[in-house]
Amino acid sequence: MRVIGVYNIKGGVGKTAAAVNLAYLSAVGGYRTLLWDLDPQAAATYYFRVKAQVAGGGKALLRRKRGLDASIKGTDFERLDLLPAEFSLRNMDLLLEEQKGPTKRLLRLLRPQSATYDHCLLDCPPSISLVSENVFRAADLLLVPLIPTTLSARTLDQLLDFLQGHARHRRLKVLPFFSMVDRRKRLHRELIEGLPERYPGFLRASIPYTSEVERMGIHRMPLIAYAPSNAAAEAYRTLWSEVMAALDEGGAAADPALGPVP
Amino acid sequence: MSDPKLEYLCPPGFGPTEVLTALAGHWRLAEEPARGLSRVFYDTFDWALFADGGVLERRAGQAGRGSGPELVWSPRERSESAPESPSPSEALTQPAPTEPSFAAELPTGPLRSRILKVAGIRRLLPMMGVETRIRTLRALDDDDKTLWRAALDESRFRDPQTGREGELALRVRVLPLRGYEDERDALLDHLTLLHGLSPAADPLLVEALEAAGRRPCDYSSKIDFRLDPRARADAVTKTILLGLLDTLERNRDGARANLDSEFLHDLRVAVRRTRSALAQIRPVLPDPVVEHYKERFAWLQQITGAVRDLDVYLLDFTDYQASLPPSLRPHLEPMRAFILAHYDAEQRRLAETLDGAELKELLVQWRTFLEAPVPASPEAKDAASPIKSVADARIWRMAKRVRREGRAINSESPATDMHELRKSCKKLRYLVEFFQSLYPEDDVRPLIRLLKELLDNLGSFQDLAVQAAHLRELAERMRAEGKGDTDTLLAMGALIGQVLERQQRARDAFGVVFAGFLDGDNQDRLRRLFHPGQNRGRERGEDCGAGGEPGEATQPDAGAGA
Repeated sequence: MRVIGVYNIKGGVGKTAAAVNLAYLSAVGGYRTLLWDLDPQAAATYYFRVKAQVAGGGKALLRRKRGLDASIKGTDFERLDLLPAEFSLRNMDLLLEEQKGPTKRLLRLLRPQSATYDHCLLDCPPSISLVSENVFRAADLLLVPLIPTTLSARTLDQLLDFLQGHARHRRLKVLPFFSMVDRRKRLHRELIEGLPERYPGFLRASIPYTSEVERMGIHRMPLIAYAPSNAAAEAYRTLWSEVMAALDEGGAAADPALGPVP
Repeated sequence: MSDPKLEYLCPPGFGPTEVLTALAGHWRLAEEPARGLSRVFYDTFDWALFADGGVLERRAGQAGRGSGPELVWSPRERSESAPESPSPSEALTQPAPTEPSFAAELPTGPLRSRILKVAGIRRLLPMMGVETRIRTLRALDDDDKTLWRAALDESRFRDPQTGREGELALRVRVLPLRGYEDERDALLDHLTLLHGLSPAADPLLVEALEAAGRRPCDYSSKIDFRLDPRARADAVTKTILLGLLDTLERNRDGARANLDSEFLHDLRVAVRRTRSALAQIRPVLPDPVVEHYKERFAWLQQITGAVRDLDVYLLDFTDYQASLPPSLRPHLEPMRAFILAHYDAEQRRLAETLDGAELKELLVQWRTFLEAPVPASPEAKDAASPIKSVADARIWRMAKRVRREGRAINSESPATDMHELRKSCKKLRYLVEFFQSLYPEDDVRPLIRLLKELLDNLGSFQDLAVQAAHLRELAERMRAEGKGDTDTLLAMGALIGQVLERQQRARDAFGVVFAGFLDGDNQDRLRRLFHPGQNRGRERGEDCGAGGEPGEATQPDAGAGA
């Protein structure tokens, strides 16, 4: 199982939309896929019409022997399952704090799922916290959606500095891509020109801002399922093929969910 | 919790409309567009894939997935350990633009590896066709989230072997949806308790075969007769010979069409066993009958030999080539070309014989004789004896012969002695196999294994000697027809050298293998099974006496040789 985190320190950057659509593309491509909604706002959960509840609450989710099994729900799409979020996950940092090895709890919980799923996507809450540190340890690669603004570039620097500052995160592959791009804005166009040069691994795909993406909340399904020829749908497909290529480069050795916990 | 059955059969008169009505009263339903699925199930003639626990099918016409037809291998039973979630050991799929023929010709991948080791050199044959119209239903909650999915499969079968067609029972498949087990169980209760649907006990393939009056695994080249120890020896012998005749006839069409090389091989084994049974189970059938059919089946053995020899060359060719140093390997190619050039003519000749009046007449007469009731006062001495006593005596006699011939072999013995021993061993093995149901399975199985091991050793010794001689003949013919240049002939020479070296190794191993046969436990087993209640000391004295049994040296050879 390969684990893909979708993350940004900043919120409202199109993170959930990316996680939901990429998970859908993974399943359509024949991969058994799990999407874990780690964000207490439970937007991904809402998009798949699943009730925002976890059997026994967040505490049980982190503690339970059988791990995640009791809470995983099948979506309406073949090969795509969801681990829903609920409001109690807002305290996840505190709950993790109580655990032994608090930064590798997610990794441990995911390991038993590796025979069941080929891909696991993590829809992460914003900010740097114990939850995100867990994501950094569990993930094979980290996708970072960026709105082309100067502030976004700053948060990416913050993230990279943080990862560099911690030996155990240094080898994590970080793949930024542009999200919610409005080509009518000059600043967006300029940053799209210049920014990728500064960061290795910057992906070519850029997700346009379209009103159709916002309608996901009305349709309650991935954009690609109801508007397959929309420009954003096309961009997500490009993004997914780049992610797959990056996973292939990583090779099996870089699969922390299968390997022993150090 | 144990895994509930997820496939149900509807009773007659309970069609898709009835199912829909029954469910619509309890759930808010949505229906996906209906789609067609056409399937052909493949297996080898001897059902190797099914026996191995798998089903192979080519599917066409499924919407939503890829575009073209695909080949799907799936286990017959869903795995117990992971009933809910698909596990990697479940189905294997790959695109299949054309119909499959041999596993080795499929594109490399997990599916090919999975079936190649089971199907081997046998052709994948269409065993059954099923056309299905699938309607998929969903139950929805207030958010329009799916709570369960179920498919209604309306299927018709078409038997590719007989052309027979017909309808199958409506099948309701509850599709797995993780995390909604309560809703699924409610649906299952509804279907079974309220509407009396019963779990589908068999996979679709088996259901279709049954509807067509067939069953899986209806052919095996293995000998498996259930015999009554008190039955008359002549009647039982006829049963055995009839079984062998069935095998022979079932392989005739495949051998004639050369679907794969195993049809001819199995046919020839049935002939060889027939000749061995005629010669060894005696005096039970009338002598003139035995002599006549021994001669006729020797003819059949002989006329089927040429193609089999070429088959063996072709099957072994890759190994032949690999046994040579790389620089010589390309020079062996003209040999393959030569064999292939002669193959079609030989196969045509074989097909003509298998189709010919002479064979037809032989088989009809043979069947007539075998199916005729046994006479009230038979002429052969042991015809009316209980089969068990005849079997005991014949097996014990042959076991002693094998022991005597094997013990006499030393490093100086000529190859002909090894050949004689092999023939005796083969006769012993066939006898034990014919009569295995008369003896405790736990004793007979290890004995057959032991004989097989011994025969493998003796067989490789003998076959390699024959191969070396044949390769030399082949080289002569190629030279005579101007088809082998110096390099090719030299490569064949090197190959003959390799073969003779392997033969020497088989010879060296013989001592160890035969010691296993002579081992006290095995000899005790032979005595206990086939010569019970006799004084061991006296037996031993008899064994050591020179000359063996009276008259044995003059017995005609049973023809069970290579």
